[in-house]
Amino acid sequence: MFSVILYGRNDSHGYNLHKRAAISFNAIAEVMSDPDDEILFVDYNTPDDHPTFPEAIQDTLTDKAKKVMRIFRVRPEQHVHLKARTHLVALEAQSRNVALRRSNPRNRWILYTNTDMLLVPRNEKESLSDILGAIPDGFYQVPRFELPEMLWEAAFDRRDPAGNLAKLRDWSKRFHLNQVVLNHMPMRYDALGDFQAALREDMFAIHGFNEEMLLGWHCDSNLAARLGLYRGTVDTLVDKVFGYHCDHTRVAAANNKGRQTKMNDHDQFLWQVSTPYLPDQAENWGWPDLAIEEIRLDRDTSFERFAAGIGAAIQPASEPYRTTNLEWHLFNDLTYDLRHTLPFVCDQVLTYPRNSALMLVGTRADFLSHFAIAWRAMGFTGPILVPTECEGLPFDTPGVEAGSFADLLRRADMFIFEFGLATQGIDEPVRIGRSTAPVDEERLKVASRLFRQAASLEEETRPEGRRLPRRFIGVNVIYNRFWPLFTDYVSANINPFCVQVLAGNPRIDPSMKGKVLRFRGRHAI
Amino acid sequence: MTRLPDRIVNAWRKSLDFLTGRRLAIYPKTKEEGAFLHAHALARAGDLKGAVATLNGIVATAPDVAAAFEAQGEFLDMLGQTEKAMSLYEASRKLKKGLRPGPPDRPFALRRASRATAEIASYSSVIQNVKHRVLPLIARGNAFLTEGQPAEALVDYEAALKLKPGLPDVLGLKAEALLMLGQFAQAAATFDSACTAQPRNTDFLSGRAIARLALGRLEDADVDWRHQFDLLPRELASARACVALRLADYERALPELERALEKEPHDPYWQLYRMTALGRLGHPLSISFPELKTWPAPLLRLHVKTPSAEELLAQADNRQRKVEALFQLGVLALRDDPAEARRRFDEVVSKASPSMIEYAAARHELVRLGS
Repeated sequence: MFSVILYGRNDSHGYNLHKRAAISFNAIAEVMSDPDDEILFVDYNTPDDHPTFPEAIQDTLTDKAKKVMRIFRVRPEQHVHLKARTHLVALEAQSRNVALRRSNPRNRWILYTNTDMLLVPRNEKESLSDILGAIPDGFYQVPRFELPEMLWEAAFDRRDPAGNLAKLRDWSKRFHLNQVVLNHMPMRYDALGDFQAALREDMFAIHGFNEEMLLGWHCDSNLAARLGLYRGTVDTLVDKVFGYHCDHTRVAAANNKGRQTKMNDHDQFLWQVSTPYLPDQAENWGWPDLAIEEIRLDRDTSFERFAAGIGAAIQPASEPYRTTNLEWHLFNDLTYDLRHTLPFVCDQVLTYPRNSALMLVGTRADFLSHFAIAWRAMGFTGPILVPTECEGLPFDTPGVEAGSFADLLRRADMFIFEFGLATQGIDEPVRIGRSTAPVDEERLKVASRLFRQAASLEEETRPEGRRLPRRFIGVNVIYNRFWPLFTDYVSANINPFCVQVLAGNPRIDPSMKGKVLRFRGRHAI
Repeated sequence: MTRLPDRIVNAWRKSLDFLTGRRLAIYPKTKEEGAFLHAHALARAGDLKGAVATLNGIVATAPDVAAAFEAQGEFLDMLGQTEKAMSLYEASRKLKKGLRPGPPDRPFALRRASRATAEIASYSSVIQNVKHRVLPLIARGNAFLTEGQPAEALVDYEAALKLKPGLPDVLGLKAEALLMLGQFAQAAATFDSACTAQPRNTDFLSGRAIARLALGRLEDADVDWRHQFDLLPRELASARACVALRLADYERALPELERALEKEPHDPYWQLYRMTALGRLGHPLSISFPELKTWPAPLLRLHVKTPSAEELLAQADNRQRKVEALFQLGVLALRDDPAEARRRFDEVVSKASPSMIEYAAARHELVRLGS
C-alpha cells in the first residue's frame, strides 16, 4: 500500500538521535498492515568505515521494523560532486528521490516523513495502510504536534511502539499536546514535511523533489507548492491521523543555527513556483543509473557476514585465552597472533562496498591466505590485488589478482599493509623476544617502500572518477617500529595494542616536514 | 532612517497597483466563496459554532462542494463533536471519490474533478498577504478554471505574467483560459509562444491541437497530437489512449486502452472506448464490463444492442453525455448506414466543445466519410 521515505546518516543530528529514531522507526512499522508496506531509509553520506545508521541501532528496533525496512546507502563518493555547493552533509531532495526511484511499484502511496515522528491513527482499530487504502487520490498533509523532550526521553520505551502510541493517546489530552498550527495554502500547516502523502505516480509525474534545493529547509513547502498545483488542492488527514514529533532542540542540529541558519530561498522555491514539473531533472532525478547499495536488517546482516567470514577462515579457539606482551624490551619483536588479529582486520573492511578492490601488501603468506578466505565469505566480490613485488605470497589464492604495484595502484579502492614476519608460523607464541631473520627484513623493506609510495602518491593514483581519499589499514603497526612509519603517513586514531590494527586516510601535512616526507615516500627505494 | 507609517506605505502600494494596471479579480465573486472566507474568519476568532452555521449555507445550496463538508468537519472536531465531524469528513471524501477527473491527456489544471471554491477563497487570502508572487495567482487561476470561470482565471494569469513576463507555464494556462472562453485564435497564438519556449511540453501541444481544430485546421491539430503521443511516456497509457482516440486512430488506441485497463480494470470509459476501438477495427467484441448503474452504463449496453437510440438519448441528462451518446450512435451506424453516421457526427460537432475527445474523433470520422 505505501512506502515511507526517510533519510539521515550515522551521526548525531540534534539531541539523542538514536533514541528518537528507534522510537520513530518502530512506531511507523507498528501502524503498517499491508504486505507491500515498506520503510525506505536513505543513509546519506555516512563515512565508509561506519555502518549505516539503522545498522548502528538495529538492536533497538523491533522485528517488524527490521522486516519492513530497506536501507539505501549513498556513499560519500556518490555525494562528493555536490559537496562544494552545500554546507550540509545529508541532502534531503537527493535522498528522498533515490528512495522514490527504488520504491515498490506495487505501492499506491508514498509517505514522506522524518526519523523522529510517531503517526497515531485516531481510530485504534485502523492501521495507516487501512487509512491510505480508503482515501481518494490526492495529496495529503497533517499538522505536527510537538512532544516535550522529557516525555519521549524519560517515558517512552523505544522497543514498545504499541505502548508508546497508547501513551500518546493519553498524553495528548492530559498535557494538551494537540495544537494545530495553521499556515497559508499551499502549506496548510506548519512543519508539513513530517507528513506528506502523495500518489507514487504523481511523484514520478512531477519528477520528484527539487534537487537544486541544497541548502536545507523548505523542501516540503516546495513539494506542497508543486503538488498543490498538480492536484489543485492540499487535502488533510487530520481526521484520521495525528502526527507527533519528538522535539530535539536541547542541542542544535547541524542545519539549525538560529537566525544564522542558511536555507534554501523561500521565495524562489515556494512563492515563485509556476509549475509542478522539473524538466531539467526529468531524466536523472533520483540517480536512476547509479548503483545504490541496498541493505537489510532481517537478512544478510553485517554480523552474519562477519561471522561467515571469520568462520570460514579460522576455527574457534580451544583455550580460554592466549597472551601477548607490551613490555618495552620487546619493541622490535614483530610477531603477532594472526587468528586474534584477523577479526579486527575484517572489522575494518566490512562496511565498505562489496565490489571494492583491495590492495594487500604484506609479508606473511598465511595472513593473505586467511584474509582472502574471509574476504570472499563476507560477500565481497571485488579482487584482492597483490603486487608481485611482495615475494613469498601465495598469488594463486582464489580471489587474488597479482600484478605490478604501479599497475595495481590505480585500481585499488583501499589498502592493507601488513608488517609481520614471513618466517612466523601461525601457532608460534608471540612477542617473546624473537628477532627478524634476513628474509623477513627483505620482505619488510619491500612492504615499507610500497607503503610510502602508495601513501605519497594516493591522490594522483586514484581510480578514474574517484575524488575522495582511499583508506589505509595497517596490520601489526602498534607499538613497534612500524608505528611511526604508518602514522607519519596516515591519520589514524590511537587503538589498543591488542587490536593490532590502525586505519585512516593519508595525512595532509602542509608543513616542510610533511612535504619532505611525501617527497621521500614518492621516491622510496 | 525613520520608517514611514504603515498606512502611508499601504496607500502607496495600492496606488502603484492601480497605476500599473494590476487589478486582480474582484473578490469574493460568489456567495460560496464569501461564505468560506467568513466561516474561516469566524473560526479563527473562536466562533466555531458560527463558522459551522455559515457553512450550512454552502452545504444547502451547493452540495457538491466537498470542502464545505470537510471544513464543517474540522470545526465540529475542534468543538469536540468528533462523531459528527467524522461523518462530515467521510461525506467530503465520498463526494470526491465519486467524481471522474478530466481526460489524462489534458493538463493537470484541467483534470481536477471536485469543486474549487475553498481554494479560491484560500488563495485570495494568500494574495492579499503575499503580494506580487506568481504561485498564489496561478493557483487561484487554476481554481477558477476548475469552476468554469475562465475570465477570472485569465485576470490572474495575466497578473502573473506581469510579474514574470513570458513565463511559459503561465502562457500555457492563459491559453487554456482563452480556449475555454472560445477565443480560439488568441489561444492558438498564445500556445504558439508557449510551444516555442518549450517545444516538448505535452500540455501545450494538447491545448494547441484543440485550438487549431476549433479553427478548422485539422491537419495542423493532428501534427500536434501525434507529437504529443510520441512524447508521452509509455507508462501513461491512458493519456496516450486519449490522444489516439482524438485522432480516431483506433489501431494506436487499442493497445494503449488495453494497458490502461491492466492498471484500472474497472474504469468504465476505458472499457467503452476499447469496445469502440474493437468495433471500428472490425475485431470481435469481447463484452465483459463491470456491473454499473450509473453513466456511462447505457453506452456500454449500447454495444450489445440495448437500449434504443431514443432511450439512450433520453438517459443522457447533460450536454456532455448527449455528445458521448451521439458519438457512439454514429460509430455503430458506420457499418450499415453511413448517412446516419454522418448525421450523428455532425450533431456531435455542433453540440460538443472542441476539447471533448468525441468532438475531435467525430471530425476525423467526418473526413473519412468524405464530408
